[in-house]
Amino acid sequence: MRRNAFTTFHPIVNFVYFTFVLVFSMAFMHPLFQAISLAGAIGYSILLNGRKAVKFNLLYMLPLLLVMAAFNPIFNHAGVTILFYLPNGNPFTRESILYGIAAACMYVTVIVWFSCFNKVITSDKLMYLFGKIMPAISLILAMTLRFVPRYRHQLSVISQAQRSIGRDLSQGNLIERARNGLRILSILTTWAMENAIETADSMKARGYGLPKRTSFSIYRFERRDQLTLSIMIGLVAIVLTGAALEENTIRYFPSVVMKEYSLFSFVVYGAYFIFCTLPVMFQIVEEVKWKYIVSKI
Amino acid sequence: MSNQSLSNRRLSKRTLAAAILILVVIPVTILMGVFLWESRKYYFISLLIMLYTFIPFALVFEKRKPQARELVVIAVMTAITVAGRSAFFMLPQFKPVIAIVIISGVSLGAEAGFLVGAAAGFISNFFFGQGPWTPWQMFGFGIIGFLSGLLFQKGWLKRTKLSLCLFGGAATVLIYGGIMNTSSVLMITPTINKEILLAAYASGIGFDLVHAAATVCFLFILSRPMLEKLDRIKLKYGMIES
Repeated sequence: MRRNAFTTFHPIVNFVYFTFVLVFSMAFMHPLFQAISLAGAIGYSILLNGRKAVKFNLLYMLPLLLVMAAFNPIFNHAGVTILFYLPNGNPFTRESILYGIAAACMYVTVIVWFSCFNKVITSDKLMYLFGKIMPAISLILAMTLRFVPRYRHQLSVISQAQRSIGRDLSQGNLIERARNGLRILSILTTWAMENAIETADSMKARGYGLPKRTSFSIYRFERRDQLTLSIMIGLVAIVLTGAALEENTIRYFPSVVMKEYSLFSFVVYGAYFIFCTLPVMFQIVEEVKWKYIVSKI
Repeated sequence: MSNQSLSNRRLSKRTLAAAILILVVIPVTILMGVFLWESRKYYFISLLIMLYTFIPFALVFEKRKPQARELVVIAVMTAITVAGRSAFFMLPQFKPVIAIVIISGVSLGAEAGFLVGAAAGFISNFFFGQGPWTPWQMFGFGIIGFLSGLLFQKGWLKRTKLSLCLFGGAATVLIYGGIMNTSSVLMITPTINKEILLAAYASGIGFDLVHAAATVCFLFILSRPMLEKLDRIKLKYGMIES
């Protein structure tokens, strides 16, 4: 399996990155910023998920984008440039079309970033991150994630046992089948509860609740994590300065107004571009390194 | 002794976190909303303030140092909810999530109800896909679990099928539907007006009614056996809360 460069970083680096990239994608409605973030998200999702991501983006995200972009101008009539009037007499404005496209673009970008988040921040990373601040709640989350596949397995065990006495979902008429199904679920629930108490007692016997617990995966905060985190914070600082100076804000209503381009605005755009494509760039650097090492053998 | 001092230090850290939240984070949110987010002000302020409502729950729950048994039973109820949601994946909106969350709230208390709802919203989206809707779903499910526990404690919600089904149907349409429809409005338009809210509710009402029907059906079938099983576990292992 191909390793992804960005997933090998320390969980804090991953988490800080996703927090900022998601907040920025939701906050900045400036078309250039949206395009940069969308490009970064799609690029990274294709790197992570390959052909599946291409299919997902084209089959679900593109239609969603179109439908949502059309929704806004139908219900939102603000804006000064009236293109025509709808049959019910309300104006159809250019500003609301543009806003609709921007909002739809934002929505899709966030979903694509979340698909990357799911792949990178695995449950053991979540446990590592929140185990110290919220030990009980992160334990509940981790146990639930384990229970779901476990119950699925137990369900098949129960239904095989029931089939041998003629009481499976596939036996009898419709009413009997429904009754059998409910009985299997009832058995599963009782088993799950009893099993839970056993798990809890076992946890207690092994010292759950004592201070200084350790986590399953051990992550070390290395030099490269330090370096990456400081680069990220530097880029975030530039982007936030830009935001404070309104380089990346845009006003849609009543008329579209953007700030004039200046030298500084290009610095902000550049910083945002580097920030959004950071995971993709790490991957490219790793590939180049790998090719270089292989070529020397 | 060392144990005691350790837990004391941890407590003070948490108090510090709460202080930072109240003194720094909330004012910063409102300032950022006013100065930065020109067009997305309502969305961000409401999203963040909603996220802050999770924090007192987390703080109180962690501070109480819950026992292993309590944690595992909450995790079991969450897992059953998640499994129930994925078992009915082919029927849109026809999901037992709210029904099981209400049962958990009634049987295990308001706090556990909130946790089961919020955790089920979060974890089931690992299977269904995370997105900007996740915090709203967590909040919607969680607050229903919390209310069902609270109303049961106050005696306004009974353990009868009729009472549970009425509450479940109403909560699904009014609370969950209301939260999700408002969130979709906030996500796609810059300002809220009565017209667009009505449009969103009108387009969502079909889904909400199917969801409410599902909640009522599942409560009708599941409430008695599930509550009995939970009671049995509580009685057998002495988990009745004082």
